[in-house]
Amino acid sequence: MAESLHKESKVIEDISAKFKIAGKVQRERRVWVTIDKDELIALCNFAKGLGFEHLSAISVTDWPEEGTFELTYHLWSYSERILLTIKTKLDRANPAVGSVVPIWKENAQIHERELHELFGVEFEGNEDLTPLFLEDWDGPPPFRKDFDWKEYVRQQYYDQANERERAYYD
Amino acid sequence: MTKQMNEKELITIEHIEQIIPGDTDYNFYFGPAHSGSGNFGVKLRIDGEKVTSARADPGYLHRGFEKLMEYRIPMQNAVLSDRVCVLEALNWNLVHAEAVDELTGVEIPQRARYIRVLMAEMSRLQSHLIWYGVMSLALGFDTGFKMAFGYRDYILDIFELITGGRVYPAGYICPGGVRRDLPDGSEDKIKRVLDQTEEMMQKMKDFDNIVFSRRTKGVGTLRTEDAIRLGATGPVLRACGVETDVRKDDPYEIYDELDFDIPVREEGDAYARCLIRGREMEESIKIIKQVLDRIPQGNIREPAKITPPSRVKIPEGEVYVRNELARGEGCAYMRSVGGGEPYRVKLRGPDFLHMIPVLEHLLKGSQIADIPAIYWSLNICPADMDR
Repeated sequence: MAESLHKESKVIEDISAKFKIAGKVQRERRVWVTIDKDELIALCNFAKGLGFEHLSAISVTDWPEEGTFELTYHLWSYSERILLTIKTKLDRANPAVGSVVPIWKENAQIHERELHELFGVEFEGNEDLTPLFLEDWDGPPPFRKDFDWKEYVRQQYYDQANERERAYYD
Repeated sequence: MTKQMNEKELITIEHIEQIIPGDTDYNFYFGPAHSGSGNFGVKLRIDGEKVTSARADPGYLHRGFEKLMEYRIPMQNAVLSDRVCVLEALNWNLVHAEAVDELTGVEIPQRARYIRVLMAEMSRLQSHLIWYGVMSLALGFDTGFKMAFGYRDYILDIFELITGGRVYPAGYICPGGVRRDLPDGSEDKIKRVLDQTEEMMQKMKDFDNIVFSRRTKGVGTLRTEDAIRLGATGPVLRACGVETDVRKDDPYEIYDELDFDIPVREEGDAYARCLIRGREMEESIKIIKQVLDRIPQGNIREPAKITPPSRVKIPEGEVYVRNELARGEGCAYMRSVGGGEPYRVKLRGPDFLHMIPVLEHLLKGSQIADIPAIYWSLNICPADMDR
């Protein structure tokens, strides 16, 4: 097992030599590392240098009890054939993080634009964060855990005069 | 009186210049209800015949699946995952099921793995036939459109036989395996449909010179470094000379046991993308034949009985699953905190990148007449972009 995961361990070794962080090999071709927000951009630059040139996706997980947003950057290396996930946490009250647009260009730009709209995360340095999917939306970012979509739909669309709708809303 | 009237009726160059003052710049809105565009628009700025800038306008199909999945247990989400992309529902079923399976750590029965791959490849075939149909329509070749959709229907008949649904399989590929075993005699029926599909592919080759090559050669050329930078995946990237396929590079299910090739071309233009898809259909047929030859007997789901909703638990953890869809890389990030519903699901569709950065890049500088060829050579589906 340890023998066959040599490639994956090498990535963690390379990263921990420079950034003093530990990572874990989840399985073949899956490597996860967690880093402080301040070092995120430096690590992303380093990862690109290691061959992780394809930004597969960026995701946000909302942890309201903890007061944080967790960002995950999923990177694929065409040469090494490894998926590296970089995780970092942001303060939920002030969700600002450096943009990775200088590293992964237009690809990163569009992912950040989506997450800004759905979670309200600020990507500093991304110049175009105009809304992508939602038209004329002025409510809170809808993918946050504390956005109660059931209540929102009830308030917006429940026609109380229509008896047949009662089964859905009451 | 007559003199005045005549002066008014006669439209002179001066009149036109008053209406269009001095230049040939104008805005042009492609979509969002154009018959060839799907529910998606592109705002174009045109100078004469040339596109000077393009800006994608997505959102018409945004249904918020990622959020909806946080309120449902995996079996319900399997049904929901059909809808992520209308044109390849079974492939998205598989992405979702794999994410849950990796979290639960269930050993999927071998027969179920074979059925999953069989259905995923059939789905790829019918998706490529849709692409061929709409691409033909975009190029003004109605015959190709009608034939492709006709032949696709044979595959849909097989889907109906196996899953019960023609387009939406209602979560046929579900966490733990598949919902039902193959009905008796379905292998023979599938083989017959493969023969019919091969017949269609021969016709596609015969039509090639009439329409496709003339309208697509040298159009919408994407360079390799641009393709990687813009996040292109799948056939679009392979048409730019990058030999990559998730089925080979990051194998899932039983793909590492199967023998198939990755078609690659160097040109990077719309024609190369068309040829790649034609070749991919051949490879899919090769895979399906191998699967049918080797499919073992056994269970089709683990656990065989579906767990009652109140007892469903997804173990705590997080996974990132990658699959090769007909359009490119389809991924799911799933996070669980040990409840019945996933805590967070992120779906990454190939068209999110193909329809926004790649399309904008290719349209800029192109001619109006080439827009449909470029648009459809990317084989795009607004549904998996908006999610």
